[in-house]
Amino acid sequence: MNHSLRSAAYVLIGSFFVLIAATIWVQAIKGPEFRDDPRNPRLVASLTGRERGPIVTADDVVVAVSEPAPDDPLLYVRSYPEGELYAHTVGYTSVLYGSRGIERTRTPDLVSNRDATISGVLNGLLGGDTRPRGVRITIDHDLQRAATEALGGQRGSVVAIDPMTGAILAMVSIPSFDPNSLIGPDAGPAGSTLEDDPNDPLRNRAIDETYPPGSAFKVITTASGLDSGTASPSTTFDDPVALELPGSTSTISNANGEVCDDGRSVTLERAFIRSCNTVFAQLGMDVGGLALANTARSFGFSSEIPFELPFLTSAFPNGAQLESDPAATAQNAIGQRDVQVTPLLMAMAAGAVANGGTMQNPFIVSEVFTSDGLVESTTEPSIWGRSMSPAAASVLADLMEQVVISGTGQRAAVPGVRTAGKTGTAEITGSAPHAWYIGFGPVAPGPDERSIAIAVIVESGGDFGESATGGIVAAPIAQRVLAQFFGVGID
Amino acid sequence: MTRSAEAGLIVAAAMLGATGVAIVEFTRGNWLDAQAAITFIVFLLAFGGLHLATRLWAGGASTLVVPTAAFLTAIGFIEVYRIDARLGALQRWSLLVAAAVGAGVLWLLRDNGVAVLRRYRYVMLAVGVAFLMLPLLPDRFPIGGATVNGSRLWVRLEIPGIERVFSFQPGEIAKVLIVVFLASYLAERAEAMAAVYRRVGPLSIPEPRNLFPVIVAAGAAFIILIYQRDLGASLLLFALFVTMLYIATERSFYVVAGAVLALAGGALAYSTFSHVQRRIEAWIDPFGDPQGAGYQTVQSLFAMGSGSLTGSGLGLGRPDLIPAAATDFIFAAIAEEMGLAGSLAVLAGFALLVTAGFGIALRSRDRFRKYLAGGLSAVLALQAFIILAGILRILPITGLTLPFMSYGGSSLVANVVIVALLLRVSHEERT
Repeated sequence: MNHSLRSAAYVLIGSFFVLIAATIWVQAIKGPEFRDDPRNPRLVASLTGRERGPIVTADDVVVAVSEPAPDDPLLYVRSYPEGELYAHTVGYTSVLYGSRGIERTRTPDLVSNRDATISGVLNGLLGGDTRPRGVRITIDHDLQRAATEALGGQRGSVVAIDPMTGAILAMVSIPSFDPNSLIGPDAGPAGSTLEDDPNDPLRNRAIDETYPPGSAFKVITTASGLDSGTASPSTTFDDPVALELPGSTSTISNANGEVCDDGRSVTLERAFIRSCNTVFAQLGMDVGGLALANTARSFGFSSEIPFELPFLTSAFPNGAQLESDPAATAQNAIGQRDVQVTPLLMAMAAGAVANGGTMQNPFIVSEVFTSDGLVESTTEPSIWGRSMSPAAASVLADLMEQVVISGTGQRAAVPGVRTAGKTGTAEITGSAPHAWYIGFGPVAPGPDERSIAIAVIVESGGDFGESATGGIVAAPIAQRVLAQFFGVGID
Repeated sequence: MTRSAEAGLIVAAAMLGATGVAIVEFTRGNWLDAQAAITFIVFLLAFGGLHLATRLWAGGASTLVVPTAAFLTAIGFIEVYRIDARLGALQRWSLLVAAAVGAGVLWLLRDNGVAVLRRYRYVMLAVGVAFLMLPLLPDRFPIGGATVNGSRLWVRLEIPGIERVFSFQPGEIAKVLIVVFLASYLAERAEAMAAVYRRVGPLSIPEPRNLFPVIVAAGAAFIILIYQRDLGASLLLFALFVTMLYIATERSFYVVAGAVLALAGGALAYSTFSHVQRRIEAWIDPFGDPQGAGYQTVQSLFAMGSGSLTGSGLGLGRPDLIPAAATDFIFAAIAEEMGLAGSLAVLAGFALLVTAGFGIALRSRDRFRKYLAGGLSAVLALQAFIILAGILRILPITGLTLPFMSYGGSSLVANVVIVALLLRVSHEERT
């Protein structure tokens, strides 16, 4: 009778080896598939419930933080103490709406890499620090707030950079939203309201939207003229009421519909200060479509520029096609027709003038630090390319300073600081014009002085509507941001 | 292994339980909570008490059984405590009661041994069957059935003047009584049942009257299946009958006939009962209806997969997402938080316990003791296999507790009694 007892024992003990094989199959072989199944509620919990490192500004203001959930000490709740102020840059991480901004791009640093995968286990065993890292951004909190307040709820964007390094000092996009609203229990309806909003509050207008630059583009046209030897500040141009375009019935006239100077001739310098369309349309045709397109390319148009966040490529027409179409060249030379640009690229263009003609790669994360506060890695500034010769940059800086002193950009002037700028009023069909201001300061900085380059755009005239110009609407906004940067009080 | 080494392993199991509780409390922000100390003391009292009872009344018993049971109980307890600390506190009381009952069994059998049980075999059969039928009593009786999760396998006991309603699963106790009855019955009849047979083709067919026990077994299992909707208990009971008949008669006919009957019964149940159909469909394709019929299976697969090799860590997983995590699906919760390392340790523990049990059966000198130890080992192995195979999708899900590990007093008491009986049989083989 031991025979049957032994057989039964073998079968029943053997059945545990079947269970062992099945357990290895479920946990080790199929395990990762089950773990990463989108229907696995742990995935959602791990995305939102896990501790993420803090995100702080250059001046130590905490803009994203994880805190233990009040009802479950094992889970963390992400919150954004500054609300709308950093919605587009820092972004959010949400169960329903995924993640955006730095919260998305820096997830590998921000979340703990402690998990049950083989590499996670090995890392833990080998004593690697598996706690989440923190991220410091280059944005200056006071400047960010000043820029947001200066826009005053008008749709548009303000971008400020350090022209010498490429660090983003402020990046504002209005309308904004409260990223905290995409996390809580009401995230569903809050998110769909934002998605359906015709004003598109979720879009980061500073980098993910392009606009016609209008007269602000004359900086690039001038750089092209200077570097090609076609013109200098003292070069004179005809001064008609309207410039007739070759091969076309259309004409280009100045904003006020009058002559630029005395109706006979005008210097490039005077035309730049007064932002006369006729002269720069002519300059564009003198330089030629091909050379203008090449200069635009060296200013980052139609080029990939690496950046932390999704950065739309700005558009300028093909040079060979423009070469045979002087009318189109003339219109693009004054920032109309086909040319489309992001506010960040315009800030970088102003920055290139400030930086002796060299354009820096933009960056927004300055360092990654450990949970002990030790800096683990820092971002080294890098050069994107040369936009113009140092000589041309020097001439342009002088011209742009004159714009602030006596031209269209006077409302951007900051008492006691030499700043330079260029206004733009981009005509668009079907709505009031976009108001632009780009600029930088200080002109000719001392060795220890910090610099700033800025671009401001107010969509569709902002509060001024049809009567808006860059000088009236955008320049005062730039003035308030620059005043904050230089610590100068304005009334 | 010496008796004092056994004592050392019991202390180690108690420390395992206490450490687990300390870790769980730590993840909740409590540093060195009193709960760890209480757990250590309860485990020491329970298994130390069982150890002492063994020294007193079963001195020759195997030293492998109690430490293995203690190890499994500790792992299960940690996870139950982690899922719900209140259930953990109740489980500690159950453990003390179970150990007292186990020691009581050893005390009762101290003079005459397990042989005395043969005298009461029909009492045991009657009590066992009555226990199985108890849940069918109407809800309004002071002692009566209760339906939990769609299955009617609970009994409430309302004592006048006491607010608390006691409830237990009589099926857990009944399975032990039925093993004792079968061991005793088969010890007398098996020879006759095996000797008289006819050859039909390759099979040896017993006399028709000797088929009676198989038909009774199948009938009892089917009644439980229909009236109590308890697929697990039904399958367990049937597989136990067949296994013990095979052990006793050495006729593979019973295994073949059992398999045929089980398949036929399964097919009949599938075509008749919608809840059986849902179980089968969820088994074949749990992801076909992940929010409905397949929910339990899908959630436990997610849990085990997420646990991966080393697990999320105690207190850091989400076993709260698994339905019935503290009872039937405790294995999935352990696999999630303790990883493959933990789940394989559990399976190894069961394999060791069952091997030790069958070892005792093989070494026993007479039929009754062999059948008793073999039957008790088989019921442990079958119960663990049926629920684990369900969780791992080898079989359809049928609800059963995982011996020693699931939350539940009746189950713990029954399994500690099995341990006590195994200890006694083991002791008697040496004397």
